[in-house]
Amino acid sequence: MNTLRYGWRNLWRNSRRTCITLAAITLSTAILIASYGLMDGLMRHAVSNATNLVVGEVQVHAPGYRADHSIYKALTEPDLIFQAAKQKNVAAAPRRYGYGLVAVGTKSAGARFWGVDPASERTTFDLAQHLDQGRFLPETPQRGLVLGQKLARSLQAQIGSEIVVVVQAADGSLGNDLYTVMGVLKAAGDSIDRNAALIHATDFVELFVSGERIHEVALNSRGMVPLDKLTELLSIGAPEEEINSWRQLMPEVSDMVNLFDAFIWIFGLIFLLAAGMGVMNTMLMATYERIREFGILKALGATPWRIIRDVAAEAVVLAALGTVLGTILGLAGSYYLQEVGLDLSIFAGTYSVGGVAFDPIWRATISAKMVYIPVVLMLIIGLFASLYPAALAARLDPVKAIHRP
Amino acid sequence: MASIVRLQNVTKDYGQGQALTHALRGVNLELEAGEFTAMAGPSGSGKSTLLNIIGGLDRPTAGKVEVDGRELENLSKTELGLLRRDRLGFIFQSYNLIPVLTAIENAEYVLMLQGVETVERRERVRQVLKEVGLEGLENRYPRQLSGGQQQRVAIARAIVSEPALVLADEPTANVDSETGKALLDLMRELNEEKGVTFFFSTHEEAVMRRARRLLELRDGVIFNDETNNNGDRTHG
Repeated sequence: MNTLRYGWRNLWRNSRRTCITLAAITLSTAILIASYGLMDGLMRHAVSNATNLVVGEVQVHAPGYRADHSIYKALTEPDLIFQAAKQKNVAAAPRRYGYGLVAVGTKSAGARFWGVDPASERTTFDLAQHLDQGRFLPETPQRGLVLGQKLARSLQAQIGSEIVVVVQAADGSLGNDLYTVMGVLKAAGDSIDRNAALIHATDFVELFVSGERIHEVALNSRGMVPLDKLTELLSIGAPEEEINSWRQLMPEVSDMVNLFDAFIWIFGLIFLLAAGMGVMNTMLMATYERIREFGILKALGATPWRIIRDVAAEAVVLAALGTVLGTILGLAGSYYLQEVGLDLSIFAGTYSVGGVAFDPIWRATISAKMVYIPVVLMLIIGLFASLYPAALAARLDPVKAIHRP
Repeated sequence: MASIVRLQNVTKDYGQGQALTHALRGVNLELEAGEFTAMAGPSGSGKSTLLNIIGGLDRPTAGKVEVDGRELENLSKTELGLLRRDRLGFIFQSYNLIPVLTAIENAEYVLMLQGVETVERRERVRQVLKEVGLEGLENRYPRQLSGGQQQRVAIARAIVSEPALVLADEPTANVDSETGKALLDLMRELNEEKGVTFFFSTHEEAVMRRARRLLELRDGVIFNDETNNNGDRTHG
C-alpha cells in the first residue's frame, strides 16, 4: 500500500471536512497567486514607466559626475559603451549636460540643458512621445527647445515662444542664443519638470563649446536583458566608467518595489498560515478519530516514524491537491487580470507616486515565480501543520489507544 | 521443543494507594513452539494484561519476560515494535482492520512494514487469504465483509509474516457460535498444518475445549494448567 494512496483514501473518510479544508487551501493559493500577479504587474509597470521614459535600466557616467555635475567630467571613451551595448542589441542614448539661464520676455529661470540625439532618444526611450504640447526635437538641429512642464509654466512659455539662452561655455566664454519652444513635456518627475531644457546635441555643442564631451549614456533593453547581465557587460566593456542601475539611480522606486515585495509576502504568509491552521485542524480531528487505529498499527509493529510519515503524507496530499486547484484558479484569475485588468479610472486618472507614473488600468503579470513560491510554501506549511497531530499519533500508548471506546 | 515465551514471577499493578489494583500476581509461564493454548478466566482476571505484556505492548511491574529468546525488559520501544513486527502476530477481539484498506491490503500491512517487495508480498498474501477461505474477496473493503470474514482477514494479517507466536485476544467473541467454531477450526488447522503457535484468551466453553492446553486465570494468578495432546481437550 503506497503511503500517498493510503493518505488519499484516509482523506475521504470525512469528505465534508476535507472539502472545507481543501476549499480554504485552494482559495488561499488562488488569492495569493492573483495578488502576487497584480502586485508584480503594478511594480513591473511602474519600473517600466520609470526606466522607459528617460532614466533607462543602466546609466554610465565618468567617475564622480553624479556628485559634481561639472561639464568637464565627461566619459573618456563613450564608443566602448556603444560597442558593449551593441553586442546585446541594447539601445543607448548619449546625453550632454550643462547649466544656464532661460528667459521669455521678463520671465527668467535657471535650467539644466540636455544635449540629446533625438533619433537615439526615440529608439531608446518614450520621452519623445511624452509631450503635453507641441512636438519633440527634429533629427536635424533647428535651434528648437523642449521644456519641462513646470519650467514652461514659470516662464509662461508657449509653443513657438522665443527663448533667450545664456550659458557659461566650457571654454570659459559666455554663450548666448535665441531658441524657439517646440514642445512641453508631460509630468516626468520633479527635477525634469522644474528645470529640463532639451536641445539638439549639435546645438548643445555649439552653445557650450563642449566639443566631443558626452556626460551620460543611458541604456535601455526594455526588459530584454537582465539587469545584472547588462551591468556586468558594461563593467567589462567600460571598466573606467561609473555604472549605475536604475535601482541605484532611483532608490525611492527601488525601495517601493522592495516594500511591495515584502508586503505581498507578509500578506501571503498570513493567508497560507490560515490555510495551514485548517490543515492542522483537519489532521488533528482525523488523528483523534483514529486513535484506536494508530494503536493497532503500533501493535502490528509500525514505528513512530511510520505513523508520522502516514499522517504527514495525508496532510501533504491535501495541501498538494489544494495548491493544484488553487494554482489553476489563481492562474485563470491572473490571466483575466492580465488581459482585462482592473479599471481604476473612476478613482484616479494617470497618477504618479515618487515621480513614477501609474496607468489607471491595473494589470497582472504571469510569471513562474508567482506560482512556485506559493505552491512550495503551501506544501511546506501543510507538512509542518501535520507534524503536531503526527507526533501525537506517533506517541500514543498502543494499549490505551486500542482500548479507547 | 524450544520455548517461545518464558515468564518468571511476573506482576502488574495499576494505580496507586487505595486505587492500587494487582492485575497479575507472580505469573510463571512457559509456552513452546507449536502450542495451541487458550487462556480462560472471568472478566478482570488479567487475561488481556498478560497478552499485552507478552506482546510487548505493556511492561510488567516486576518479573522477567522472555519472548523468542529476548528479554523484553532490555528492549526499547522501537525494538519492541520491531519484535512485534517480525516475530509476533496479533488478532484482536473486534477485528481492528483498517477501514480504508482492502482485505489484501490489510493482510499485507505487516509485510509492507517489513519491507517485503510488492510482488512477493502480494503472492504470499493471496496464498494466505486462500488458506483462510477468502479467495475472491481480496479486493473487498472491511465494510463489505461479514464479521467472520473480517476476522479471517485479521488472522491472515497475523500469520502472513510467519511469526513465532500469534497472540489473540478473544478472537471469537464478536462472532456467532457457528462462525466462532469455523474460526477456531481455521486456527487449529494453521497450527497443525503450518506449525503456527497460538496463544489466545477466551471465556467461551466451546473454545476452551478445542485448545490443546488450557490455562485458567483468576485474580491475576494461573490456578489451573491442563494439557491434552490428543485432539480436543475435555474439560474437567
